Amino acid sequence: MSVLRFDNVSKQYAGGHVALSDVSFEVQPGEMLFVTGHSGAGKSTLLKLIHLAERPSRGAVLFGERNLRKVHGSRVSMHRRQVGVVFQDHRLLTDRSVYDNVALPLILRGIRRGEIGKRVRSVLDKLGLAARERALPTQLSAGEQQRVGIARAIVAEPALLVADEPTGNLDPTLSAEIMALFASLPERGTSVMVASHDLGLVKRMKKRVLVLDHGQLADDISPEDLADA
Amino acid sequence: MDSAMRRARPGVFGRLGTWVDHHVYSFVASLGRIARKPWSTLLTVGVMAIALALPLGLWLVLANVARFSGDVQQSREVSVFLQPRVTLPQAQALAQTLRGRGDIGNVELRTPAQGLAELRAGGLGDAIDAAGSNPLPSVLIVTPKGDETLLVASLQRLPEADLVQHDAVWRQRLDGWLRFGYRLALVLGVLLGLGALLVVGNTVRLDIQSRREEIEVLQHLGATDGFIRRPFLYLGAWYGLMAGAFAIGLLTLAAMALRGPLSDLATGYGSRFTLAGLDPAMAAAVVVAAAFLGWLGAGAVTGHFLRQTRPAPAGRESR
Repeated sequence: MSVLRFDNVSKQYAGGHVALSDVSFEVQPGEMLFVTGHSGAGKSTLLKLIHLAERPSRGAVLFGERNLRKVHGSRVSMHRRQVGVVFQDHRLLTDRSVYDNVALPLILRGIRRGEIGKRVRSVLDKLGLAARERALPTQLSAGEQQRVGIARAIVAEPALLVADEPTGNLDPTLSAEIMALFASLPERGTSVMVASHDLGLVKRMKKRVLVLDHGQLADDISPEDLADA
Repeated sequence: MDSAMRRARPGVFGRLGTWVDHHVYSFVASLGRIARKPWSTLLTVGVMAIALALPLGLWLVLANVARFSGDVQQSREVSVFLQPRVTLPQAQALAQTLRGRGDIGNVELRTPAQGLAELRAGGLGDAIDAAGSNPLPSVLIVTPKGDETLLVASLQRLPEADLVQHDAVWRQRLDGWLRFGYRLALVLGVLLGLGALLVVGNTVRLDIQSRREEIEVLQHLGATDGFIRRPFLYLGAWYGLMAGAFAIGLLTLAAMALRGPLSDLATGYGSRFTLAGLDPAMAAAVVVAAAFLGWLGAGAVTGHFLRQTRPAPAGRESR
């Protein structure tokens, strides 16, 4: 069964702007794919529909067997715990340490303190942040901050990780590091969906690519087709 | 899905531990917010404390006035001056009869001899001596148990009664003023309590605004409304608790400042009246009520904010 399925999904904002129009696709467990397109093509809206920051105007978004149209009240937060989100601007809590930021998803899930410590340190170690766990986000470089954001998104081992322009503010070397990190996640069963307008980066990763154009799914390119392109 | 997390999820006792952990987290977070903004906290608590202290102070003044009027119990007493022909044994018998009535609390007999002694003590001995024999009648001091007006009418019908004296008017007026004062304190309490509620609500609203991004992040990470609301509820309760304690402190200082001069004034009138402050139980109740008020204000504002940030139902256009 797919992790995520969009069935003819449309999203129209107040004022009439159509952000998505009849978009359909599926994401399989352990798959990594990119969503690309020009600015305003609907990439961010698509990701927002996945973690229920927005709801579709028409069509269905299915997360596993769950139709997200029918998710309301406290179930919204339960759903969000199964989707890791990485933001372009990191969105770290600046008055809390790296450790506390990364521990948040585990605290929300009611994981025991001892277990939280183990998991947080394990993820920080993997991302090369072990020595920075007591630092405040403001004391970190942009690359480190983004890695903390990723650590926070993956520490609870979500079924799906969505990242909105995660390398937008990073230099090419750091961007490649972050992408390599994302590429390693499917091995652990986490599907990864990255929105990026950096076509060069997308091509280099050789993963499936969804191309959005004015809210419509213009193309769905497999890794093989991308290699041939 | 999310199976690793599900495996790590605790059982019933573990969930109780989690619930405690979340409360400890919120408790510490709320204290941190207070510590980070000491001046803002002081201002909020100060305004709330004054809003609480005003009606509470009025209520205390009224309680003291009521206590004082209770001390001057004789204002309720009815003096029955018996006719001069009524002998002392007859007066004693009448007093005994009246003591058996249901509408009478107590009857005290003042004999002509006692009356004479009181007058002598008051410096009127020479005038009494000039009158020759003792002209004073026996007097029954009757303490009513029920309706004073009916009792006075009944006593006036006694054949032995010469004059029935009962100055009830000022007492009724005082009671009227006291009732009005208590009602005024209640109205002020409600209005200023509402003011305190709004002060907390506004402070928490500003705190929410300044932490909007943080709240959004928590929501994206899957925080429940309860998790987001809890630190603000604690914050409101802290404000209320501190304001309640501050208000009691202010009233205690005011009572200390007034107690001495008032005691001197009372002594000048032959009274041992002293100003009473809040007893510990009442003070504790005030602090708890103020904390509840703060919690309520914070809850209302946070609830409103959370309702606004929920994703719109499917099909409805969002902005």
